Amino acid sequence: MTQPIYILGGHQTDFARNWTKEGKHISAMMREAVQGALEATGVEPREIEVGHVGNFAAELYAMQGHLGAFLVDIDPAFQGLPTGRHEAACASGSIALLAASAELEAGRYGCALVVGVEQMKTVSPATGGDFLGTAAWYEVEAKGVEFPFPKLFGRLGDEYERRYGLKDEHLAHISAVNYANAKRNPRAQTRTWYMSEAHACGEDAYNSKIGGRIKISDCSQVTDGAVAVILATAPFAAAWAARRGIALADVPRLTGWGHRTAALRFDDKVAASAGSPYVLPHTRTAITDAYRRAGIADCWALDGIETHDCFTTSEYMAIDHFGLTAPGEAWKAIEERVIDFDGKLPINPSGGLIGAGHPVGATGVRQLLDCALQVSGKAGRYQVARKHKRFAMLNIGGSGTTSCVFVVEA
Amino acid sequence: MARAIRRVVVLGANGAMGAGSGAVFAAAGIPTTFLARTRDKAAAGRTRAEQLVKSTAIGALISVGSYEEDLAREVAAADLVFEAVSEDIAIKRDFFAWVDSVRKPDSIIATVSSGLSIAAMCADCSESFRRHFLGWHFFNPPTVIVGCELIPHAGTDPAVLAFSRELMAGPLGREVVETADTPAFAGNRVGFKVLNEVAQLAEIHGVAYMDALIGPHTGRAMPPLATVDFVGWDVHQAIVDNLHAHTADEAHAAFHLPAYMQRLIAAGHLGNKTPDRGGFFRTEGKGKTATRLVLDPARGEYIPLAPVALPPFVDAMKTMLRVGRYREAMDVMCAAEGTAADLMRQVVLGYVSYGLNRVGEVVAKARDVDRIMGFGFNWAPPSVLVDAIGPRRVVGLLERARLPVPRVIIDVAERSLPLFVEPDVDRGRFFFA
Repeated sequence: MTQPIYILGGHQTDFARNWTKEGKHISAMMREAVQGALEATGVEPREIEVGHVGNFAAELYAMQGHLGAFLVDIDPAFQGLPTGRHEAACASGSIALLAASAELEAGRYGCALVVGVEQMKTVSPATGGDFLGTAAWYEVEAKGVEFPFPKLFGRLGDEYERRYGLKDEHLAHISAVNYANAKRNPRAQTRTWYMSEAHACGEDAYNSKIGGRIKISDCSQVTDGAVAVILATAPFAAAWAARRGIALADVPRLTGWGHRTAALRFDDKVAASAGSPYVLPHTRTAITDAYRRAGIADCWALDGIETHDCFTTSEYMAIDHFGLTAPGEAWKAIEERVIDFDGKLPINPSGGLIGAGHPVGATGVRQLLDCALQVSGKAGRYQVARKHKRFAMLNIGGSGTTSCVFVVEA
Repeated sequence: MARAIRRVVVLGANGAMGAGSGAVFAAAGIPTTFLARTRDKAAAGRTRAEQLVKSTAIGALISVGSYEEDLAREVAAADLVFEAVSEDIAIKRDFFAWVDSVRKPDSIIATVSSGLSIAAMCADCSESFRRHFLGWHFFNPPTVIVGCELIPHAGTDPAVLAFSRELMAGPLGREVVETADTPAFAGNRVGFKVLNEVAQLAEIHGVAYMDALIGPHTGRAMPPLATVDFVGWDVHQAIVDNLHAHTADEAHAAFHLPAYMQRLIAAGHLGNKTPDRGGFFRTEGKGKTATRLVLDPARGEYIPLAPVALPPFVDAMKTMLRVGRYREAMDVMCAAEGTAADLMRQVVLGYVSYGLNRVGEVVAKARDVDRIMGFGFNWAPPSVLVDAIGPRRVVGLLERARLPVPRVIIDVAERSLPLFVEPDVDRGRFFFA
């Protein structure tokens, strides 16, 4: 990066809420997230110079586009605020973060508001599954298919099985860890739900297969949620930190990013990776790009990772792609409990998408906020040990298509 | 020696509270024995527990048995005996005498009673039993509603109380509020004051009208009279009768069960649990031909439910709530004029006043009332409403309505501080459009 971009703080709505049952419009969710972020940071509304919104499919779920304009409504000081909305399926939040941080790096603005938002409980699970199919190549991979995404990520597991071997009990452990971590997170969707390794390993009426090898316990959740973060340049952050009586060095900052996109169709991605030890080589490149830009050698310079576990197979993929193990040996990190909450390199202390929830367009922003809370020691009951004060996140859009990585440190 | 719960016995495990609470213990990984009058009933409770947590894996931690064949042996081996039999003090006392005669000396005995006197329940038991006895009041269904009350009596060992608090807040994932051993404790005392008050007002203004007026937009997931149907009129009666008989505070008249409810309960109208007779509402027919009926309290008859005409300020509130403008919605409620607005304020501000006035009597802090109303009832905690309206304005409105002004509101009004201090809780989740 040409300069670090500071994360002043933010706010996540409680992902257990059902905003349709509350009778709320998607703009209410954005309002709560933004007001919460302003309250958490003490940034004055008039200090926000630009707003970026990440959202996947409000047109489908809530019959509403043009979400950037709703920011203007939140505070009288936001009249005339330049805003826009970004979309890259489940990586929409990260694209909004990339756009905002690029504008800050370019020197256009000193302080930016980024909001990720998705309201998903407006429709039945089957209809929602169909909407999510538009994150794949809809006509080719999703049209007329019930729950296309579990099937696609089931095939990611199958590809691991074919190349390296894969045991479902390792996937079950990933699920159990995410649910267990979520119990520590007061804003996690599943914090009161039951899960155990026995349940995740078993198959019964409540844990049936819904797409290839993917069972319900392997899936992330259908979630309503919004997350807002406030990003700033060094000069703005320095003045803000002085005002708050904190050292600039203690303010979390983005130090590295990676962003790669592969072909939309899952078969094309797998075909393209035929000669690579990595099943999703462009995801590996996004990770190494971010490591390089952050000036770190490997994952062992991190205290933890927030990764995109839309299914247990995508977290399984992340383990070797982040370099915790050699390609195809993620099971070793699972068996050695490296990824557990108190492991050597915990993954998803928040609970991840499986435990904390997955409001699609908000996920990338939620991951960044959690990284910022972790490196600054503010993650409460899901705080992990701070040795390096550095976290990384991976946010994926589609069937491993768009990969966005950020390194955050304090 | 450090206390640990390695085995739980649930008495009355076939009921909603027994099966649901048992599911919470088993979900925390604690081997749990479900006991009921027959082994089959206990097994039905286990099936219910599996349904509640959506897993058959949990069944491996649950064993079943009958009182006659298994109680003595199971209770002797248990570290915690959780009583969820009928809400009848005579029946509970019989069970406690039995448990007292066979329990381990250091086992904890908890009752899920929703409001009977903890001290009276164990009065005839041994000294050891009484020291280890207290109330663990969960709300239905405990697998979903995490708010609960912890109620010691004067003789409860402080170490047992402290251990219970840690277990509930930790492995059992509860949001715990400690209350005094006063009738109906905190949540039901404050909640059923509102529910019964609305039931009284329904006699004058109509059932459908009151439920629409004091609907979700006043800070609750479910309208009040639909809530009474959900809870059951028999349970409602038991709670308000107990409160009417054993409390003498500013809301005493609000605990008088309306005569029309008394008559209908005698005729077997218990709400949703008696679908053929109904409660405030009744559904006739099924599917597309189903008709929703509503009670006419004066005649004790059911008439087709028709849309209720409410004054425009209610729609204005809902419009604000829908887009997340909660303060503005409360502003509309406070500024509106007319009978409907007066009625709404009487109930909503009456709730704020009565709830926060229990501080010092039933609970130690405003936060306790807030937690049980928020986490137990899923109602906007009184302090959330005070903050949304503004404490100074609340004081003025309470004075105008001749309602007691709780000390805690005056304190925050003087210091310009928020009253709701619960961390990590979205205020907005309590406002429904």
